[in-house]
Amino acid sequence: MASPKILIIGGGPAGLSAAQDITDAGGEAILVEQEGFLGGTPKRLHYSLLAPDLKPVEEVLDPLIDSVQQSGARCMTGAKVESVNSGRNGFTVTISGGGKKVEEKVDAVVVATGFAHWDPHKKYEYAYGVYPDVIDFKDFEKMLSDGNIVRPSNGQVPRRVAWLLCVGSRDRQVGKFYCCRLGCAVSIKQAMEVRRINPAIDTYVYYMDIRTYGFWEDKLYWKSMEEFGVKYIRGRIGSINRGEDGRLIAMAEDTILQRPSEVPLDMVVLATGMEASEGTRETAAMLGLELEEHGFVKPLESDSMPVSTAVPGVFVCGTATGPKAIPDSITEGSAAAIKALNYVRKRSIKVQARA
Amino acid sequence: MTVLQNLPRRGPKGTEPSMVIGGARPRDEKTEELAAKIFSEFKSDFRYKEYVLGCINCGECTTGCPAARFYNFSPREMLQIAYQDDPLVLLDAMQEKIWACCQCYTCNMRCRFGNDIAGIISVMRELAVRNGLDSAKEVLKPYSRILLAVMTNGTQVSPDMIQPDFFADWGPFAVAKQTDIKTLRKAIPIDVLQVTDSSWEVSMQTSLELFQIYTESGVVDMLKSIDPDLVEMIEDIVDEWKDEFEEMKAKYGVGEA
Repeated sequence: MASPKILIIGGGPAGLSAAQDITDAGGEAILVEQEGFLGGTPKRLHYSLLAPDLKPVEEVLDPLIDSVQQSGARCMTGAKVESVNSGRNGFTVTISGGGKKVEEKVDAVVVATGFAHWDPHKKYEYAYGVYPDVIDFKDFEKMLSDGNIVRPSNGQVPRRVAWLLCVGSRDRQVGKFYCCRLGCAVSIKQAMEVRRINPAIDTYVYYMDIRTYGFWEDKLYWKSMEEFGVKYIRGRIGSINRGEDGRLIAMAEDTILQRPSEVPLDMVVLATGMEASEGTRETAAMLGLELEEHGFVKPLESDSMPVSTAVPGVFVCGTATGPKAIPDSITEGSAAAIKALNYVRKRSIKVQARA
Repeated sequence: MTVLQNLPRRGPKGTEPSMVIGGARPRDEKTEELAAKIFSEFKSDFRYKEYVLGCINCGECTTGCPAARFYNFSPREMLQIAYQDDPLVLLDAMQEKIWACCQCYTCNMRCRFGNDIAGIISVMRELAVRNGLDSAKEVLKPYSRILLAVMTNGTQVSPDMIQPDFFADWGPFAVAKQTDIKTLRKAIPIDVLQVTDSSWEVSMQTSLELFQIYTESGVVDMLKSIDPDLVEMIEDIVDEWKDEFEEMKAKYGVGEA
């Protein structure tokens, strides 16, 4: 039996993890990534530190990228899967990249096409794109990576920065009913990072609930208060105005004091939610995968078979099936790898038995 | 067992209170009866299910609320009261707080759960009027002149009556805008008849038909519980008109001259 050949679409944490495990198990992995580099969204948007241990992204992802590149997996960056046709003996895929098209025969496909940050322009009350000092997660991560926290409007160091949770999540108005799972943790992490870089900056988090699951509770939520002095205000900013001095004015209700409040702020960071990326939607359409009600890829059984899909030979992992943290995506990549390898092995046994 | 005494009594199916927010309160049979009645009417209103979905306490409704800035009032609190199951708390809110709302519907625009908060407040107001609550009487007292005009004429102002001189608080900008108002009105892209002076002269037939509608739809009965004197006065006027109308019909044949 020839070694199983598996196509992985997407070179983020999940796809990398799948590629590594497939090659480690003696399989042949073809990793297709649309960007010119591996590492996915965390690398593309220059994420700074990762929750909860405040480890730099490079420290987490670079060893994985290196080991994938050294493992003998075929990494095609700047490439795109054009078409997938399933036949009797696996799939025939067309991959375009670098101005030419390649055709490959593979036994199974792993979809690791990831997520996109929700676009906060759609929530006009927050004036994202109107007031330069209203920024979102990806803008602030970039700012933290550069180590340069300044107000985009005037280049000065802010005195007060606030985070507004659940922008584009848990909101019927924008059609995003689900929780993004990471907004709380990432906001708190960013606030801690700010306080560490410059303790003179006051940080506030406007929240409805703080959802720091499991170990994140003490490692992030409690620690941010005890050691970093991050302040929490229960209640959401309903709209952002700008005062005469150019500072932002956050209109909110403090739901503990039960009164409306207006607080002058220098910067507001919108904790934008997660939605299925364009690549995920396109790939799902190409492979005939069903989407679930939130627009992500629907697993065969979300409880018992989270990485299998209704299409035989196609597996899915990472944020393509819903909001997830990087460790979870890496775990799911490994799970999809073993499921794909087992699928190929079982099929070849069947083929042999038939012959 | 004092705890058991404070448990709410069972009401009709689907409308029984399941929880008491405030705990023990001084009991007054009459108030509790009224509260239970209003509570059951409120929860069985067909709009209730449509307007009140749930609440995650984000406070965005209160953020934009103009009334919340000036009064001890918050749309979030109103929705919580509407959602929770305490008849006495509901009655308390209906006695005062619901009247602070100015029905601008900003809360509805903001609500990420999709509640119709201003809508449910208007349902509460309607119930307050229907049940003749003191608060409703108090609030509607200054409006009896307007009510009289609306109930008999169907309108109480014509556009021409609204002159800037009467409303000093409009400021100079509004006055400047008024100078060319006739031309501006002509620019309205839909057909609005351009009639601005005759809303006081509604035809008698129209007035009588309107009153018929008010009677059949229960508006007159609703008003009776709030201001019986006013209703009496209106009925006198309408009766007079009816006679006059009959006379006219006899004199000129069918319909109005």
